[in-house]
Amino acid sequence: MNIASHADSFTPTLRLDQCRKGTSVRVTSLIGQPLFGAQDESVSLRLKELGFLPGAHLKVIGFGLLGSDPLAVQVNGTKFALRRAEAAKICVEPITPHP
Amino acid sequence: MSAPIRFALVGNPNCGKTSLFNRLTGARAKVANYPGVTVERRSGTVTHIATPTEILDLPGTYSLFVTSPDEQVARDVILGKLAHEKRPDLLIAVVDACNLRLGLRLVMELKSLNRPMVLALNQMDEAKRRGISINTAALSQSIGMPIIETVAVNSQGVAELRQYLDTYAQSAQQPTEQGAQVLTLSDRQESVEALYAEIESIMSQHVIQPAHLPRWQDRLDALVMHPLLGMIALFTILLVIFQAVFAWASPVVDLIDAGFSSLGELVGATLPDGILKDFIVDGLIAGVGGVLVFLPQIIILFFFILVLEDSGYLTRAAFLLDRPMRGLGLSGRSFIPMLSSFACAVPGIMATRTISDPRERFITIMVAPLMTCSARLPVYALIIAAFIPEQTVWGVFNLQGLTLFALYFAGVASAALVAWMMRRRTAREEFPLLLELPSYRWPMMYHLLMGLRERAWIFIRRVGTIILALSIVLWFLATFPGAPEDATLPAIDYSFAGQLGHFMQPLFAPLGFNWQMCIALIPAMGAREVAVSALATVYAVGEESIDVALGGALAASWSLPVAFSYLAWFVYAPQCISTIAVVKRETNSTKATLFFTVYLFALAYFAAWVTYQVASAIVN
Repeated sequence: MNIASHADSFTPTLRLDQCRKGTSVRVTSLIGQPLFGAQDESVSLRLKELGFLPGAHLKVIGFGLLGSDPLAVQVNGTKFALRRAEAAKICVEPITPHP
Repeated sequence: MSAPIRFALVGNPNCGKTSLFNRLTGARAKVANYPGVTVERRSGTVTHIATPTEILDLPGTYSLFVTSPDEQVARDVILGKLAHEKRPDLLIAVVDACNLRLGLRLVMELKSLNRPMVLALNQMDEAKRRGISINTAALSQSIGMPIIETVAVNSQGVAELRQYLDTYAQSAQQPTEQGAQVLTLSDRQESVEALYAEIESIMSQHVIQPAHLPRWQDRLDALVMHPLLGMIALFTILLVIFQAVFAWASPVVDLIDAGFSSLGELVGATLPDGILKDFIVDGLIAGVGGVLVFLPQIIILFFFILVLEDSGYLTRAAFLLDRPMRGLGLSGRSFIPMLSSFACAVPGIMATRTISDPRERFITIMVAPLMTCSARLPVYALIIAAFIPEQTVWGVFNLQGLTLFALYFAGVASAALVAWMMRRRTAREEFPLLLELPSYRWPMMYHLLMGLRERAWIFIRRVGTIILALSIVLWFLATFPGAPEDATLPAIDYSFAGQLGHFMQPLFAPLGFNWQMCIALIPAMGAREVAVSALATVYAVGEESIDVALGGALAASWSLPVAFSYLAWFVYAPQCISTIAVVKRETNSTKATLFFTVYLFALAYFAAWVTYQVASAIVN
């Protein structure tokens, strides 16, 4: 399965919030999230500052209690808890195929 | 004379700034393993150096583009935006060597401010253990600032850093004063990628890093962050804490209790009858001793809180509880302030500064005092020990421990209900969670002992000052004026305290409170534990015999519904003055503070009334 191997491709992209536990992915781009309203730009900036940049390798390490929310994600050896709303801003491509 | 040279410790949350600060200044500020322990700037003097200097410990921040009130504090100090405060002369950037990328990013951002900087590469021991190898000299060259390797938790490298600061302070001339620096969002937006690219190239040259974190860390996370097993683990931990508070403390509590009883008897036997003997036995020993016996329970409670804080577990619990808490208008970020409030609501309310959503922060402040603080523990413990039989249920649980758990649970459930009622109903913009989950580490003996010593000392100081003072005042009020010649009631009924209690009693009659209980409510506003010493004084003065233990006196004069009603009152309890003051300061609103005070009073009254009516109906 080949999902969005290029950031600029027109095929539907995979977002971090759609990834299963244990998957390793690479960030392709950050997109807008209307839920954050006016501060969406500063959320993008903070995500980038924490290392969620195009090219970064991520690993989904766990989910919270209900509705698989929030997600625990490892980036550059640091673990972060993200909600689905934040994770949906991060477009990714799988590094290894789903097991 | 010129102003002292100012240093400021800056860095990511949880990288060890406060540990370094404590080492450099000899202070004992709170240290723990979760982001956001420090929410205020703290100032001290570097010890053992020649020049007088000032050093600031700042809240951790990931960036100068801040998203929460605690980060705002750090930014304002760094940029010199605080009124009446000189900009720091030298920035000491603290970077966790195990988390180098994230730390270096902030360092590079700070570097663009063109200010004197030195980098303290902290937690070098842990980095070496994980197989991270850093060519410090080359790294220092690449980023263009001196680097000092430190291990703040055991002083390594701190001497070297102190030496550097000393040399700097001696050679530094007064810097030319510049205006506050201004940064806008658009200044930076495009350069995050460039900065990271630079860091990647620097790190690939000078740092060798293993690809994986230690396996046990990931295995532990797989368990404690598991949606089901993790919740079971969380509840087990909490239940064990409450069991321990009762089961482990009781031998020591009994010992202290017996000590004070014998002291009372000894003094009673040696001193001649009279007002002095009454004062010492009924006022001092009964009042102060009554509260001091709860020290072991407070120590045990704090032991567990400190272990949870230092291990890195807290943020995992916040992660698990984020979704359920969101239904209440809160988030995982509110969890840590709420948990701190089990110790005391004052630091808990201050810890809400790490919450970026103003509405969520407000709700957290409003409900944090419903978490049962340690000052309420003596009140609960006294009444539970007097009314709940000590028996084992379901094989393992101690009934008294379960009752205590139920009281704490009542507070938590009420907080959930209040938050749910206050939550915002109209959909508005969301705020991100973005919470770092720090690596686990073994709780450090040093931190534990320091923390326990600090808490024990605070408690003893409260006993020796406010509780002692209130006990003395209360003894006077309960003793004077004496009973008239033709008295038919016990002498205390005629005293000022008795009159006040009788005056208040009709208001509290629907809750089943007698006038002695009403008296105790007033000094409890100053410090909750005083309810215990007040009851001790009132009952000791009222009783003929001095060797009746307070618990026994209560069991003899209160019915079970009354005891439950009093417990219910204290679950919501009139907040102590310091809590009200910190709510005023953190919300900066008289209206909010007034609302806070009134709603908690109303809730306490209502809950005690319901409890009394229901319990009476069941008992009859």
